[in-house]
Amino acid sequence: MLRFLTVRLLRAALTVAMVVTFAFVVLRMSGDPAQIIMGADAPPEAVEAFRAAWGLDRPLWVQYFNYFGAILSGDLGRSMRDGRDAIQLVAERIPATLALTLPALLMKVALGIPAGIYAALHRNSWVDRLVMIVAVAGFTVPSFVLGLLLVLVFAVQLGWLPSGGQESWRHAILPVVTLGLGGAAVLARFTRSAMLEVLGQPYIRTASAKGVPWHAVVTNHALPNAAIPTVTIIGFMMGSLIAGAVVVESVFSWPGVGRLLVVAVANRDLAVVQCILLLVAATMVFANLVVDLLYGLLDPRLRNAPKRAVA
Amino acid sequence: MLVTTRRTALFSAAALALPRFAIAEADQRPVVTIAVQKIANTNTLETLREQSNVGSRTWNSYAETLIEQSWTGDLSLRPQLAESWRRVDNRTVELVLRRGVRFHDGSEMTAEDVVFSFGPERMGWNLTVEQARNLFGTVPGQTAGRTPPPEVLAVARRTYPAFEKIEVVDSHTVRFVNRVPDVTLEGRISRNVGMILSRRAFEAASSWLDWARRPIGTGPFRVAEFRPDQILVLDAFDEYWGGRPPVRRLRFVEVPEVASRINMLLSGEADFACDMPPDQIGTVERSPRHEVVGGPIMNHRLTVFDKNHPQLRDPRIRRAFTHSIDRQAIVDALWGGRAPVPKGLQFAFYGPMFHEDWEAPRYNLAEARRLLREAGYRGDPIPYRLLNNYYTNQVATAQILVEGWRAAGLNVQIEMRENFPQVLSREGQRGVRDWSGSASFNDPSSSLTAAHGPEGQQWQINEWRNEEFGRLAQELDTGTDRARRRAVFRRMLEIAEREDPAYTVLHQSVNLTAKRRDLRWQPGQSFQMDFRSRNWGA
Repeated sequence: MLRFLTVRLLRAALTVAMVVTFAFVVLRMSGDPAQIIMGADAPPEAVEAFRAAWGLDRPLWVQYFNYFGAILSGDLGRSMRDGRDAIQLVAERIPATLALTLPALLMKVALGIPAGIYAALHRNSWVDRLVMIVAVAGFTVPSFVLGLLLVLVFAVQLGWLPSGGQESWRHAILPVVTLGLGGAAVLARFTRSAMLEVLGQPYIRTASAKGVPWHAVVTNHALPNAAIPTVTIIGFMMGSLIAGAVVVESVFSWPGVGRLLVVAVANRDLAVVQCILLLVAATMVFANLVVDLLYGLLDPRLRNAPKRAVA
Repeated sequence: MLVTTRRTALFSAAALALPRFAIAEADQRPVVTIAVQKIANTNTLETLREQSNVGSRTWNSYAETLIEQSWTGDLSLRPQLAESWRRVDNRTVELVLRRGVRFHDGSEMTAEDVVFSFGPERMGWNLTVEQARNLFGTVPGQTAGRTPPPEVLAVARRTYPAFEKIEVVDSHTVRFVNRVPDVTLEGRISRNVGMILSRRAFEAASSWLDWARRPIGTGPFRVAEFRPDQILVLDAFDEYWGGRPPVRRLRFVEVPEVASRINMLLSGEADFACDMPPDQIGTVERSPRHEVVGGPIMNHRLTVFDKNHPQLRDPRIRRAFTHSIDRQAIVDALWGGRAPVPKGLQFAFYGPMFHEDWEAPRYNLAEARRLLREAGYRGDPIPYRLLNNYYTNQVATAQILVEGWRAAGLNVQIEMRENFPQVLSREGQRGVRDWSGSASFNDPSSSLTAAHGPEGQQWQINEWRNEEFGRLAQELDTGTDRARRRAVFRRMLEIAEREDPAYTVLHQSVNLTAKRRDLRWQPGQSFQMDFRSRNWGA
């Protein structure tokens, strides 16, 4: 187990380092923050002074090692636009984003998995077809279209819910539903496919032939085996908790990390963008690590695989 | 002897609290929410830094100038913080300040505040490059301080190119002194850069950035909260000299998507939605409770040239650009005919300086092709740096433009950019770009020289310069003979729009605002929004 954990932690660290490096290089190749932040009217001497003050005039590799060293010491840099620590700016926005993405994740799981299981158990029935039609629609309709549609119906026509902003919990309902429906559709499809595959396995037939009640076959044999692909998808969804609502936050004027990311990228506020990407990478890697560990719990064959390989 | 018991203390506290509570309870004024595309490009509320159309929308609610341009009226100059003014000579204006005007911090406005507002502390007149290192107080290892960023000086110089000093005559009389004669001084004083701010508040601010995000002015509303990129909340300032504001609170909420702004309006969460494209008028007005108001404003949309680009050095190629634009088609297709094709970069409210017989270059593809042939243009690409609808209908306009240019034989390639600094960046090659030109007062020096003259942005960023135009700009700014100034202006139009094009006009800008039909509020002929009692429920 220790070796299993060590290998995965090392992989996770390497992945985060690669993301950080990629973000660092791409951001510096995509525009001069000094010119953008100071505006077109600033004289060239002032722009140069700005670059020197922020170390942007140094060779890229020097900037990179300085940046990496700072990260290791816990310093994620300061916003060039605001002057405050980047982590502080991002941390201020995280609760707003989590207020959307966590309920949305719950909604995805609560709707998507039961719908997928039910559809699989009633394959080719009208319920199955209905679930799949809804799932395909939810999967293919972009979130900004779905968001605007929900606003038109529930805010403009019916006047039941607010269309944007962050003043109360009611303002979160439509963005959460927008995020949740799309994800639930994805989960429903994956769960259905996984269940159908498992239900066709010989051990299911064996269990049924032995007289095990059908609900016990499903609960004890089918569901645990179908859980692995579903858990993988949920892992991805957990990884996008921090910055998975960029479009929805824009449509609903929700001041979360997603909108901060858009503004920071547009202004080449390097430290803020890098800080968000680092957090996103860390969240994604952590979620995958948890998924890897869950694989082991869900499927003993995977847990024992390293031992067998060593033997 | 005064004996204080717990009971008397409680009664006293209740008595003190009651009137305020009662006042709050009695305040039936509405809270008004305005959905805007953007609150401020620079995330500051200091007009010396925020020189944008979006910033124009808010500044006059929290601050005021000595002389006001009447955007909701006849476009004349009117007293605001100065109750009167007179010309002392051709380079000096004496202004008598209104008495009893209070800043939002409770202090009374005096001549000292006027001196400060036009002085080096705010406008950075003496700024050196060394001091410019103190940028926004955000540079690591530097003291925050209140030194303004260097572009503040650039904007101040452009607005007051020959500013000399403010002389204090007495506590409520000042003299605005120019180094050279200038018949447009009153107009310049009316520009938003000249808003009057509290010296005391500036000195109490911890940094320039803090100050620029919460300026203390004299407007009918005070800044209550500013969360950059999110919301600007302005609360009524009941001691406003012009009377109690009719609105208790103004909320400018940033909603980048047009559809979302309209939805906020239609669902009742917003009372106003700004920057409406004309094709959304029907959508809004299908609701009986809403309407779209507005029309042409004192701003023209322009296509601007960088004459340093190898293909654009030859003025004949730029002229070909100007002749292959079907301006009327743009106006008809995208603006439903609401946006007039202007007579060059000038406005009718220039009065005697307006050249009625001047026209934008005619749409004439044959002429464009002839010019290109003469210039020996071989179809080399010319970049067109474009923003995604910063201006209403910007991308659609660009597509029509590019097709027109293609029809003439010009190979123009759109390059999408994210913001203005990227459009203006010296990195790579600039070719053509979009811009708009405003007239902030009724004289061509407010637009033609301010934007394209030696202190103008185009000149300063080395996009377009013309020696004769530079000399004429100076003459226009300092000349006092009306006939001569009129002739100079004419010649400047000939240079900048015909002989050596710096830009070409497309159409007059139209500013459309969707709003609740029951709110009696009039849009002005600029991007400014006036929420004073004179423009509310009248």
